Amino acid sequence: MSGVRAVRISIESACEKQVQEVGLDGTETYLQPLSMSQNLARLAQRIDFSQGSGSEEEEAAGAEGDAQDWAGAGSSADQDDEEGLVKFQPSLWPWDSVRNNLRSALTEMCVLYDVLSIVRDKKFMTLDPVSQDALPPKQNPQTLQLISKKKSLAGAAQILLKGAERLTKSVTENQENKLQRDFNSELLRLRQHWKLRKVGDKILGDLSYRSAGSLFPHHGTFEVIKNTDIDLDKKIPEDYCPLDVQIPSDLEGSAYIKVSIQKQAPDIGDLGTVNLFKRPLPKSKPGSPHWQTKLEAAQNVLLCKEIFAQLSREAVQIKSQIPHIVVKNQIISQPFPSLQLLISLCHSSNDKKSQKSATEKPSPEDHLYVLEHNLHLLIREFHKQTLSSIVMPHPASAPFGHKRMRLSGPQAFDKNEINSLQSSEGLLEKIIKQAKHIFLRSRTAATIDSLASRIEDPQIQAHWSNINDVYESSVKVLITSQGYEQICKSIQLQLNIGVEQIRVVHRDGRVITLSHQEQELQDFLLSQMSQHQV
Amino acid sequence: MGVTCVSQMPVAEGKSVQQTVELLTRKLEMLGAEKQGTFCVDCETYHTAASTLGSQGQAGKLMYVMHNSEYPLSCFALFENGPWLIADTNFDVLMVKLKGFFQSAKASKIETRGTRYQYCDFLVKVGTVTMGPSARGISVEVEYGPCVVASDCWSLLLEFLQSFLGSHTPGAPAVFGNRHDAVYGPADTMIQYMELFNKIRKQQQVPVAGIR
Repeated sequence: MSGVRAVRISIESACEKQVQEVGLDGTETYLQPLSMSQNLARLAQRIDFSQGSGSEEEEAAGAEGDAQDWAGAGSSADQDDEEGLVKFQPSLWPWDSVRNNLRSALTEMCVLYDVLSIVRDKKFMTLDPVSQDALPPKQNPQTLQLISKKKSLAGAAQILLKGAERLTKSVTENQENKLQRDFNSELLRLRQHWKLRKVGDKILGDLSYRSAGSLFPHHGTFEVIKNTDIDLDKKIPEDYCPLDVQIPSDLEGSAYIKVSIQKQAPDIGDLGTVNLFKRPLPKSKPGSPHWQTKLEAAQNVLLCKEIFAQLSREAVQIKSQIPHIVVKNQIISQPFPSLQLLISLCHSSNDKKSQKSATEKPSPEDHLYVLEHNLHLLIREFHKQTLSSIVMPHPASAPFGHKRMRLSGPQAFDKNEINSLQSSEGLLEKIIKQAKHIFLRSRTAATIDSLASRIEDPQIQAHWSNINDVYESSVKVLITSQGYEQICKSIQLQLNIGVEQIRVVHRDGRVITLSHQEQELQDFLLSQMSQHQV
Repeated sequence: MGVTCVSQMPVAEGKSVQQTVELLTRKLEMLGAEKQGTFCVDCETYHTAASTLGSQGQAGKLMYVMHNSEYPLSCFALFENGPWLIADTNFDVLMVKLKGFFQSAKASKIETRGTRYQYCDFLVKVGTVTMGPSARGISVEVEYGPCVVASDCWSLLLEFLQSFLGSHTPGAPAVFGNRHDAVYGPADTMIQYMELFNKIRKQQQVPVAGIR
């Protein structure tokens, strides 16, 4: 840009002359522009002597204006006259008004000068100060002070009151908001434990096991509602919770699965008696809020329902020698003859009606808690199977199933291998097998104990192994004489108690299989004891 | 999966296919084998389509798609002397999709059905080879389960075959010849079946003349 020459700019003012007259033939007659002296005369005429000079000295101008008001009044009146005269007689000299104003100003200045000179002499005129009122008495300053203090205190009080008003407003707002915020913080806590989602303006949650792999068709949704029945004036109760959950009506109350073994077959008429045992509610952890206990109880009910539905489905579908009976909320099956296995779903809702009808107390020997726990474990295992890593991820073209099953085609698995992959046993079969084993084991133990108590010589000892399987246990039976235990170790029997049979391995290598009959075992043990010799 | 030998039992003189099969099964039962259900092996033939031959001018290759009830979830695809493939049963559906490249020769569908016998470690399958409605021959398959290397157990297999087949005992199958010490697989069994079926297909006219 430095190399470029500067551009010359010419400015021309648009001094167009005013048109005075347009002739008939179109020619325009222009007014002659004012000459310099004419322009000056025009400007001079416009000077307003009543106003002060300079815009910065406004006060001075105002004072001057005030001082010259009385002086200017006359001159302005003159000016008005002059102006009127000017309008009337435009041939008057334009500097006339200026001359008149200046002449009047001179006159006034002279008068002022004269007055001041006379006053200075002090002979004929003196300057005398204006007399003021006497000072008020001495009390007045105190009253004044008091009044001023009062005023200032009132002012301060006003400020303080304003502040206090604001504070109280914010405190009340806070209190209201506290309840609001409490709801949100409670909702956050709820969200840490349960899955929630917002549908429209409702907050719904999911308490089913579907995300954990369950295929039960129950929806399991609960609703979160705001607890608004709170009176701010009254004292807020200790266990107040701004949140409340509403669970589906069929999941209310508490439920459990009861598994029991009965020796004698009940009458046909007794089938179908719905037993609702009111079990005391399980104690919740002291720190957990009430909605947690409610939701956990509902989830437990749902799980028990799923277990029972699965068991009853299998009971109906699977063909066995002795068919299983499913009545209302009980499944009855016969693992051994003259032995009955009862699996029932006990669901007690919180209605007052059922509370009245619950009379029986469950006897502690009735329950087989181990089997109930195993049922829960089995159904959870089933859930996990649907979500296990051997199922997912899977190729897009392959069917949904076990990973090795997908490979069975390309790797040409034969029937044995395929069968080993597929677990064909259902929940019911597993539980029945476990029940059989438990029963057989307890009866074996009872037999050995009865023999031991009945017969004093020789003595029978039983060492049960600590580590057992759900389907197999073992016990080592020794037949000895008192005092000679270390010497004669001739008869040592290892009993492997299975699901339906007891396998006995003798010290000399014989393997004998006994059935589940109690008498067989007793006879065998007696025979062994009779063969014992020191 | 053990070492398997597939052979053909010629039809006895003056007897029908069914009677020969009955003879064999009776022999097996006398030996002490227990019947364990039935089996089925079938084979479909596909030609490579003419459109894919192009300017090479070679004859279309034949592809055989076979199933074996012993491996119920698998499907075998073989070329005559070429590569083979074991797939799952979706392969049949795939073949339908590949109609443009492989045309099936429906007339040459061949299969063998029969009973399955278990004799300790041996698995014997005696089946009637049928093509359409007519029975064409008898297939005998013997599998020795515990061993997977052909060279180790061929002599034992031979002895067992001799015990009930007698003079009709076959020689060592061609698949053994290639890889003696390699692990035997189900595909080798299917190759043997394929060769058997081809042999029986070529014998088309003979059974008609043989049966009086």
